[in-house]
Amino acid sequence: MPNATALVDKNLNLACSSKGWYTVFSFLEKPIKNQLEYFKSNNNEWFTILEKSLNNGKEIQFRCTIGNTEITKHILWTFKPFLTEENLITGVIVTAKDVSTVVEKEIQIDKLNALLETKSEISKVGTWEYNLENNKLSWSKMTKKIHEVSEEYNPDVETAIKFYKQGHSQNRISMLVHKALENGETFQERLQIITAKGNERWILSSGKPFFKDGKITKLLGTFQDVDEQVKTELKVTESEQLLHTLVDNLPLNIFIKDEGSRKILVNKAECEYLGVKNPKELIGKSDFDLYDADVAQISRDEDLQVLKTLQPILGKETVSTRKDGKKTTFMTSKIPLLDVYGKAYALIGISIDISNLKQKEDELRRLIGITSIQNKKLVNFAHIVSHNLRSHTANFSMLLEFLINEKEQEEKDRILGMLSKASDNLLNTLDNLNEVVKINTNTNVTRESINLKKTFESVHENLIALFERNKVEFKNVIPSKLNIYGIPAYLDSIVLNLLTNAVKYRHPKRTPKITVTAEKEGDRVVFSIEDNGIGIDLNKNGDKLFGMYKTFHSNDDARGIGLYITKNQIEAMGGNIITCSELNKGTTFKVYFNEGY
Amino acid sequence: MRDIKNIFVIDDDSITLFGVRKMLSRITTTSNVFEFKNGQMAIETIKERILNSNALPEVIFLDINMPILDGWGFLEEFIQLKIEQGILINIITSSIDPNDRERWLSFKDKTHHYIDFVNKPIYKIELKDLHKMDLAS
Repeated sequence: MPNATALVDKNLNLACSSKGWYTVFSFLEKPIKNQLEYFKSNNNEWFTILEKSLNNGKEIQFRCTIGNTEITKHILWTFKPFLTEENLITGVIVTAKDVSTVVEKEIQIDKLNALLETKSEISKVGTWEYNLENNKLSWSKMTKKIHEVSEEYNPDVETAIKFYKQGHSQNRISMLVHKALENGETFQERLQIITAKGNERWILSSGKPFFKDGKITKLLGTFQDVDEQVKTELKVTESEQLLHTLVDNLPLNIFIKDEGSRKILVNKAECEYLGVKNPKELIGKSDFDLYDADVAQISRDEDLQVLKTLQPILGKETVSTRKDGKKTTFMTSKIPLLDVYGKAYALIGISIDISNLKQKEDELRRLIGITSIQNKKLVNFAHIVSHNLRSHTANFSMLLEFLINEKEQEEKDRILGMLSKASDNLLNTLDNLNEVVKINTNTNVTRESINLKKTFESVHENLIALFERNKVEFKNVIPSKLNIYGIPAYLDSIVLNLLTNAVKYRHPKRTPKITVTAEKEGDRVVFSIEDNGIGIDLNKNGDKLFGMYKTFHSNDDARGIGLYITKNQIEAMGGNIITCSELNKGTTFKVYFNEGY
Repeated sequence: MRDIKNIFVIDDDSITLFGVRKMLSRITTTSNVFEFKNGQMAIETIKERILNSNALPEVIFLDINMPILDGWGFLEEFIQLKIEQGILINIITSSIDPNDRERWLSFKDKTHHYIDFVNKPIYKIELKDLHKMDLAS
C-alpha cells in the first residue's frame, strides 16, 4: 500500500505529499488542494499536536477519526519532525495509517472483555496465562480478586504456586503444572489456597497448554472460587458421615422400608441380625423374604398402617422369627417418612433386641413364682403349726384348770387321763410336723433314677396282706422301661400312701379295683392310680384335700396327715399331683415327675 | 331361769367335748347335751328334727376345724334352713387366724341366729352363753 505521507513545513503549509495521501481524504466530496484545511475546520487537536511535534522536535503518534456522516476512518497519525543537517526543524513528516479494522476489532475485544469480566464476576471464574517465552504470568482481575491481591499485583510462577496451601495442594499444583509443561497434559483440580489476607479458600484450577510449531509456548487456565460450594459439599458429606456412623454403630437394628415394605436401607446391627455381611444383600428384600410368613404378615400390616395413618408405632414388643427359626423379642418403633407433599413414601424402623431382658424377666417371674409358692407354703405351715399347737395347749390349759378346782378323786383321775391323752396327741402332732419339716429341708438328699414299675411292685408286696384281706383287684400296667428322677424313699412313701388310701376309702358295696398306669408326657413321666372307691366331692373339699389334719371321711383311721406329707414329698422332688374324683365312683391321682435316665 | 332343753356340741376333739360337757354341768341340769364328731352329722340330725317337728337345739357349741363338713360348712347349710327362732351358736376354736374372725362377722350379718366367737382355751361357760336370746327378746 502506498504510504500516505505528507511534508508540512514550518509555516504549517503542505509542502508535498505522496499519492496515498489523497486516498486518506477520499471521502471529501470536493477534493481540496491543501488537506490541512480539513483539520483547520474539523479537528483543531490535530494541529495542536502537529505544532507540538514541530516545536519540541519529537515524534508523536496520535489517533483520531476522520470522515463524514457516511464514512468514518480511524487514522493513526505519526508526526515526525524533519531535521536539516544542522539539526534544525524545518518541517514535520506526517504519515497516516488507516487503522479502522484494527480499532473495530479492539472495540469488539473490549466488548468481549467486558462480557467476560461480568461473567467471571458472577461465576467467580478468573483466568491466568503463563507465557513461556518471556516467563511471564498474568492474572485476570477475578483471579487477583480470588487471591485477595490488588489489581496492580504482578504474579510470577513461583509466588503463584506459593499461594497454594502447603502440603497436598502445593505439591499437587506443582506436579500438574510440571506435567502440563512437560507432557502437554491439561488439568483441572480442586485445591486450597491461602489468600494474601491469610484466608483459606477452595479453588478450582485448570490449565491447558498452547502449542506453536509443536512447542508449548503458553499455559492458559481458569481459576474459580469454589469455596462455598466445597464447604457446603464437605458439610453435607460430614453430616452424611455422621449420620452413617451413628446409624451403623447404634446398638439398634435400623432399617428403612419403601411403600412395598422392601428394605432400602439397613444398618450394621440389622445386617448382623439377619446374618449378612453386605447391606446390599438385604436391599430390595421384603419381610416375606427374611422372616417366617406369619411374622412377615404382621409386620406388613403394621407398615401399611403407619404409611396410611402417618401415626408412628412406638416401642411395640414383637417376636420375630427368622427363616432359620431363631426367635428374637424386639421392642420396635416404626416412623413414617414424609415427602415434601406430606405423603409417606417410606418408613424408618428401629428395633432393640430385648430377648435377654425378656429372658431375665421370665427368669425373675419364675423366681418370684417359686418364692411366692415357698412363702405360701411357709405361711401355711406356720398356720398349721400355730393352730395345731394352740389347740393342744388350749386343751392342756382347760384340763389343768379343771384339775385345780376338782375335789373328787374319781373326776381328778379322769382329768389326768385326759391330760395324758392330750400329751400323746401333742407328741404325735410334733412328730408329724417334724416329718414335714424334714421333707422340706432335706432338699439335698441324693436323687437318682428310679424304675417306676419295680417301685410299685415292691410296695404292693408290702401291702399284700391288706390287699388280700380286702380282696383288691390290683393291676400294674406300668411300662417296665419308665424311670423317674427322685428320692427312692419318698417315692416308696408316696406310692404306699396313695395305694393305702385307695384301699382305705374303698366303696363298701364294690370289689375294690386299683389300676396303676404310667406314660411319658414331654420330658415328664406321669403315673396314675385309679380306684373305684367312695370318691371325694372336689367342689366341696378340693382345696382341703392336701391340707394338714383335713379329713373327709368318717373313717376312724383318717388322720389327715397322709396326703399332706405325700404332697410335700412330691413337691420336694420337683413333681406335682392332681386329683380327679367323683363321689361314689372313684378317685384318680396323677403324679408328675422329671424323667429319669 | 328356765332350763335349756337341747344343747348340741359339734367338735371332733374328745377332750374339748369332755370339757364343754363338764362346764355345762356346772350351770345347767339338762341332760339333753348331744355330741357330734363333725358338721355333717349335726346338720343331718337337725334336718331330721325339722322334718319330724322335734325340738331343735337352743344352743350350739361349734368347732371350726372338723372332718367331712367343717364349722363354716355347717353354718353355711344351717342358715339356709327354715328355723324361725333364733338359735345361739357359740363358735369355739383354737384358731387365731384373723380370716376366721372375719368369716364369723360375715355370718353374723347374714342370719337372725346369734353367733358368738370364742377362742380356746375356755375355762368356764356362763349362763349368758346360754341365754343371750332371752336378753335380746
